[in-house]
Amino acid sequence: MLAKEADRKSASTDDESVTIQLPLAEQARLNRERADQYHRYHIEATETEDRQKYPRRFNVKVGKVGLARLLFKEFFKYFGHWDVVFSRPCTYGVFSGPVGGFSPRPDLCVGCLRCEIQHPEFVKVTHNPELASLGDSYMTSKHIATIDEEARKGSVPVRGQGFRGRFGGPGFDQMFTDMSEIVRPSRDGIHGRELIGTSVDLGSKPMRLEFTADGKLLDGPKMMTIQVPFVYTAPPDSVGTGIVPEILAEAAAQVDTLVFLPESTVTAQGLASPNVVPMIAPSKIGNIESHGNGTRMVEMTYWNPDAWKQVKEHPLLVSVRLPFSGDWKSTMMEMVDQGVSIIHLVSDYHGESDDGRFVMDLYQEAHFSLVEKGCRDEVTLLGTGGIAGADHLPKAIITGMDAVGLDLPLLIAMQARLNGDTKSRGAAEVKLPSKLDKEWGVQRILNLSCSWRDQLLEILGAMGVREVRRLRGETGRAMWCGHLEQEAFGDIEGFPGGGH
Amino acid sequence: MGKEWPKPSPKLLEKTHHLMHDGFHQRAFPDTRYDLPEALGDARWTDELIASTWYMAETGKCPEHLNYKTGKSGGGFDKLAFKELAPEQQLSADAEVDITLALNRRGDERVKRTIDVPWYGGGMSYGSVSVNVMMSRALNAKKWNTLMSTGEGGYPPQLYECAENVITQVATGYFGVEEKSIQAAPIIEFKYAQGAKPGLGGHLLATKAGEEVAKMRGSVPFVSLFSPFPFHSTYSVEDHMKHLDWIKTVNPTAMMSVKVSTPHDVDMVAVGSYYAGAHIVHLDGSFGGTGAAPEIAKKNIAMPIELAIPKVHKFMQDEGIRDNVTLIASGGVRTADDIAKAIALGADGCVLGTSDLVAMGCTRCSNCEGGPSGRGCPWGLTTTDAELQEWVQQAWGADRLDKYYTALADRLKEILRGLGLSSVGDLRGRTDLLRYMAGGEA
Ligand code: SF4
Ligand code: SF4
Repeated sequence: MLAKEADRKSASTDDESVTIQLPLAEQARLNRERADQYHRYHIEATETEDRQKYPRRFNVKVGKVGLARLLFKEFFKYFGHWDVVFSRPCTYGVFSGPVGGFSPRPDLCVGCLRCEIQHPEFVKVTHNPELASLGDSYMTSKHIATIDEEARKGSVPVRGQGFRGRFGGPGFDQMFTDMSEIVRPSRDGIHGRELIGTSVDLGSKPMRLEFTADGKLLDGPKMMTIQVPFVYTAPPDSVGTGIVPEILAEAAAQVDTLVFLPESTVTAQGLASPNVVPMIAPSKIGNIESHGNGTRMVEMTYWNPDAWKQVKEHPLLVSVRLPFSGDWKSTMMEMVDQGVSIIHLVSDYHGESDDGRFVMDLYQEAHFSLVEKGCRDEVTLLGTGGIAGADHLPKAIITGMDAVGLDLPLLIAMQARLNGDTKSRGAAEVKLPSKLDKEWGVQRILNLSCSWRDQLLEILGAMGVREVRRLRGETGRAMWCGHLEQEAFGDIEGFPGGGH
Repeated sequence: MGKEWPKPSPKLLEKTHHLMHDGFHQRAFPDTRYDLPEALGDARWTDELIASTWYMAETGKCPEHLNYKTGKSGGGFDKLAFKELAPEQQLSADAEVDITLALNRRGDERVKRTIDVPWYGGGMSYGSVSVNVMMSRALNAKKWNTLMSTGEGGYPPQLYECAENVITQVATGYFGVEEKSIQAAPIIEFKYAQGAKPGLGGHLLATKAGEEVAKMRGSVPFVSLFSPFPFHSTYSVEDHMKHLDWIKTVNPTAMMSVKVSTPHDVDMVAVGSYYAGAHIVHLDGSFGGTGAAPEIAKKNIAMPIELAIPKVHKFMQDEGIRDNVTLIASGGVRTADDIAKAIALGADGCVLGTSDLVAMGCTRCSNCEGGPSGRGCPWGLTTTDAELQEWVQQAWGADRLDKYYTALADRLKEILRGLGLSSVGDLRGRTDLLRYMAGGEA
């Protein structure tokens, strides 16, 4: 009876082409087809080996005489018990080469120290100083090693044992992120059964729908969506042309995000596409017309009210770059008043303004100024500078950014070595691997992007937040180490500013 | 499919044990010719902390030549010191000091249990560690009239000989949860979250989920196992209460412990847990140990235990329930000094995990999840590999822990005597006895 009734019902869907009467089986088949067409967003990660030898974590030194003596002794002591004679302390294969410990393979060492503890008389395992020397005071060797692993594997770094580092710290380490204890969060989302959204909108969100007198929907404000809350920003001048922009443009297309590149590069290398944002100086803003091939957005490289007037009504989205220097906040407010809907705030590579303030404070200041003005959703804030690890991404968003610009991590993913001034934007000397090719570079960037997105999902899942848009400016999700210490230790003698 | 390695021969066992045990000795004692390994230790567990734990586990005493009190993390416990009284005001070295801890403060009909030391062993599941490690901990817990938790991986049959000292954990994946093990336990621990991966559930990598582990967990060998987060039947404190009622029908006398991590509203969660029926509220801070966790979670999600304890303690006081609940702290508690500081900040006692492993030889190398070999801990701790797990023998492990606990207990009593206190209960919440070392480490 029920089946018969159902048979008579229409397989009505939003798609008007399927509003005919269908038998149940046919209806099911069509539903299946539609379901199969559904494509959940993901980034295609594939393990991609290093192109140049990365400094190993540990050096392993074996005293040959001591080893020979031990082997000689054990040969006679355990004669006939060959499993004992040939046993090795290392389960990772460091001493399993053709001549065993006489030619160890320190690249395989993970620092368990079993060899050194068992044979202190002739084995020594030390941290590799070459690894420690990578990076600078901000982008540390630990950051670089982690990015390299992420770009190689495309997965979330997982390790045993607890945290090994310092309590709190400067920069982004001042913040712990919250989690939700009992209410249902989105752990299922992390493993793909439920969706946690990572897409964000760029542009001005419609605050209300507007209609013409005869009831037709008027055009809403211009905006677009990218699938991840991060964009790729222009590399330093030393690698600003050639293969690097090509790699970034291709990776941006595959991830469905954006890459910001100087317009001269875009034009010279023919990179114009929906995922490439040409950066145009105000004096040349008229060039906006010349970027075709699906270009959706351009960036004006600094604020100029006259240039803005020329492009304000242009159908392309236009972001305006604003460095954290001088009285940036007044400039930002002026830009908002003039109708700029995407403001790209930029600090140096260490995440500092020209007066040494850190982006976490600056981002909050920018975000809350707009909240106070009552126009936060009419403006997109992009923040670039100081992102050195996956955890910095949600933290920058919590402090008020809609999306974040990646800079040095992209180069590190391609195994670049940085020399000279590694703080000033654009000035760093970058040495890329000699065997850099496009396919390899693109996959490394995809892997990094996949790993960072997955880590963002971990943070969102722990909080029970189902889309990253809702994390923006959610400072209630931040726990500030300094505040917590004040609360916990404020009445203890010696605590700065408190105590008996 | 992972490779099963053969059990080691008796001769290989003998050699390896000798080398390992002698190695720990050589590094922990001052009268040998070897320095601490250069690559040993980190900011939280310094080389000296690790070596001093080995020393204590061999001698039952605190070393004079190593810093066995604090690490170099630059915050939390490492910034706190005790305000010792002048020598003439301290209790004499032979004065009796009570360090026992009563766990049931609700005054209900459930089991009343007082443990001899204000700490017990935290959950480490079968699978993340071997039966040998579990039994070492359980045998020692029995000797010390304290407890250890199964973690979420089932209840290996051998553990029943120590059932009075074993807490059965029920966690979100319900792996290995059986009526029998619930009925055997004096305490049932509901694990809502774990400090090292708060809000992320659990994960046993495929390489560690071998035949025996899978059998115990009712799963397929060598397939990764995820414990979801949170309990999918719990959306509120009321739902949580249903959980506790369910256990009560299976074991009417068991005490209930609720293990949670340390979010913003940890104080509310703790109070809610108490009203739902918990005897023990167990806070697990974000710097705690783990068999495997995303690196991003360890440092960033939730707060360190030092910051959560006073928050919960004060809130429970304000709610007028503080004396009806036992507040236990874990997640980065490494030493007797840490235990005493946690209590001074407001806890009743602590749970130890990593330090038990360090006492049995852990070097904190972070390869517990399997490492590149896929076999787990090369020291035989966090592994169920047939060969490697034999490096830790039950009697040896229990003896190391026994001596380690002896040293901890002695040091805790020494701290109390230095503060003029004859009972560890008198230390609870006494932040006035602490000093914050703003300019340096304690
Ligand atoms: S430290 Fe561990 S991993 Fe490294 S060589 Fe020695 S035994 Fe092998
Ligand atoms: S692998 Fe073993 S030694 Fe290394 S941290 Fe884990 S338990 Fe400790």
